[in-house]
Formats: sequence, structure tokens, C-alpha cells
Amino acid sequence: MAYQWDFTPVLVNAPLLAQGLLNTLKVTGVALSCGLVLGLALALLRLSRRPWASMPAGFVIEVFRTTPPLVQLFWFFFALPMIVGIEMTPLMAAVVTFSIQSAAFFAEVFRAGILSIERGQWDGARAIGMNHGQALRRIVLPQAIKRMIPAFMERSIELMKTTTLVATISYADLLFAANEISQKTFRPLETYTVVALIYFTVIFLASLLVRRFELHLARSGESTVH
Amino acid sequence: MKWDFASVFDNTDALLVGAVGTLRIFAICLVLGLSLGLAVGLGRDARSRWLYIPATVFVEFFRNTPVLVQILWFYFALPILLPFSISPLTSASLGISLNSAAFSAEIFRGGIQSIERGQWDGARAMGMRWSQAMRRIILPQALKRMLPALTNRAIEIFKMSTLASAVAYVELLQQGKLIASLNYNPIEAYTAVAVIFFVILWPLVQFSYFMERRLRRDE
Repeated sequence: MAYQWDFTPVLVNAPLLAQGLLNTLKVTGVALSCGLVLGLALALLRLSRRPWASMPAGFVIEVFRTTPPLVQLFWFFFALPMIVGIEMTPLMAAVVTFSIQSAAFFAEVFRAGILSIERGQWDGARAIGMNHGQALRRIVLPQAIKRMIPAFMERSIELMKTTTLVATISYADLLFAANEISQKTFRPLETYTVVALIYFTVIFLASLLVRRFELHLARSGESTVH
Repeated sequence: MKWDFASVFDNTDALLVGAVGTLRIFAICLVLGLSLGLAVGLGRDARSRWLYIPATVFVEFFRNTPVLVQILWFYFALPILLPFSISPLTSASLGISLNSAAFSAEIFRGGIQSIERGQWDGARAMGMRWSQAMRRIILPQALKRMLPALTNRAIEIFKMSTLASAVAYVELLQQGKLIASLNYNPIEAYTAVAVIFFVILWPLVQFSYFMERRLRRDE
């Protein structure tokens, strides 16, 4: 079978792909920053000794870690707007879903990091007169966060791969741009191949950076990765 | 806003068909993904460059591209190079299996490399060949250490099976979509689908926590 490969129809649409990649990075960035803040909050609630705080947090974490991301996305895009009575754009649904979802994963990373800090650090902070909040902010978290960096970075890469799901609710990310171009040009083979390579390049470079940084952390003895 | 799950219960048949579809693709991808993963993992552990380099390229490529992109590539792009068309089940299974193979290859490699040299030496001393030592001595011990990670992989595969709905394969989420569009009840339909997934996966997740704890205690 002699199929004539022709990449020109794809290259002509490069601006569409660039815009798609930009939107992918935008969703990833926003969900990542919201997820980190929300994840810390969830972790602190989960670690609380009061059951009315730790149980709901534990429930949210378990639900979002256990159900498939695509189901969550559909729920937030199709079901939630009818419950709260607001119009949901694909971008909003994507940001809400992936923020909460990554928050659930980040919460477990935060929790493990905080629990990995020796009791003595808490005792020492107490001994010099700090209250719980101060000890957490000034002593425990700064040490814990260093240990958590590799897990955070790996999760961020996972998040970027998961954002491709937004294409199914018609948000114009890189994958959605591919669907459009392949329908317009009747060149699915070239389009999807190019898009797969773009994803590979971006994610592979990010993975390489993460690995180098992990080695650096491991050498300076600040990492839980050996 | 009133919740009315009756419209979902009326469609239990459709959900059952979806559940069968989900279980089918899960079983296919679990078997294909893990066995291919073992083969690739052995390749990553091999001293021969002819095995090591292709295995590494495979792992890096499939770990660093999104599964949905792979599924759509197999569904829309690959048939152009082939003389026949590819079904939604085949393309989704290919994408999910190859992706899982790449991730489980690293689990297998890590597990095999975690077994002490002495075990190999002992097996050799008793006159076992490489393949006998691997099958009878190394893998059984490595499997025990890998079980928590492999269970997590299985849970991931189950979650990934929903991506098959993007190529209109009939599984739980796809049936949820169908019910929602026929009865105008997206709230109940998607909530029901989410609950079904949670109920199936939650015990598995707890089981993986339990095994992780036990492994930590044993080591």
C-alpha cells in the first residue's frame, strides 16, 4: 500500500495547533495552582483531630482519587450547571474538575510530607513558644515541601496528560485542534501523528527536567526519592 | 431542583450493557498490558543493546504521551495505513494496553532489579538456566514486592477504560451519556455512573492500601 504522506495541510494550520497547545498549558497551569492551594487545605483538614473536619476531607479525597477523571469532567460539565443553575463553559468545567482532582492527589502528598517530619521538630517549635499554626508554617511545611517536590512534579506531568480529556467537551485544547484539522483537511494520519509528537516532545522534556531536578535533590539529601 | 433517580433505574438494562462493556475492555487491557509490560520490562533489564534500546524507546514514548491521543491515533490515523478499519474496542484496547505496558514495564524492571544478586547466583549454582532462575526464583519473589504497584496499575486501567467512550465504544460512561440525552436527566445519570465506578473501585483501592501497609511491615 503506497500512501502518500503529505504534511503541508497540517503545517498550514500550525497557528491553530499553537493556540491549542497554549490552551492546554493554560488549563494545566490554572488547575495546578488551584490544586496546590486546595490540596494543602484538604490535607490540613484531613490531618485535623476533629472528625467533622477530617471525615469530609477524607471523603472528598477518596471520591476524586477513585472515580475516573472523565466521569468527573462530565459530571461538572453536564450535571452541576443544572444543580446550581449557572451556565458552565468548557474551560470552567475543566478548571474546576482538574483543580479538585489534582487537589485530592496533592492532599495525599502534603499529608505524607507533613507526617514524614519527625515529632521532635514539632516539640522544638512548641518549646520556643510557637503555636500550632506558626510551627506548621515556619518549621514543618518548609521542610516537608522540599521532600514533596518530586511527587508534585510527577503529578503535574500526569495532570498535563489528563487535560486532553477537555477535548471531549469541546474546549479548544491541542487535541481538539487536531480533531478539527483532521476533519477539515481529511488528513487524520498526519494530523494525529504531528499532535502525538508535539505532546511527546513537551511532556518528555518536562519529564527530563523533573528527573534532573530529582537527582539534584537526592544528591543534596533533601528528597524522599533515592 | 428535585432529584429523580427513577429515570435512571428505568434504564438499568442499558447500564448493565455498559458495565459488561467496561469489564470486557478492562479484562483485555489488564491481560495485554501486564503481559506486554513484563516482556518490555525484561527488555529494559537486558544487557543486549538490541533489546534495551527498543524497550526504552517504547517505554518513554508511551509514558510521555496522553492515552486519549493514542486511542484517537489508533482509531482515526492507523486505519489509513491498513487495508481494514479498526473497531472502537480495538483502538481503545490498543491505546490503553500499550500505555499500561509502558508503565508496568517499569514496575517489573524495578521489582526484578530489587532481588539480591545472591538469589541469581544461588539459582545458577544449582544449575538453572537464566529463564529457569527467572521463572522459579526471581519472579515469584519480585511479584510479592510488585503486587501493590500492579494493583494500582489495574485501578488506573479500570479508570482509563472510560476513555473508550471518546470513540463511542459502549461502556458505562457511554451508556450514561445515552441515558442523559434520552431522558434529559444528566444529573442523575452522571451521578449514577460516578457512584457505580466508586462502588467498584473503592474496595480495590482499600485492598491496595492494605497490601502496601503489609509489604512495608514485612520488609
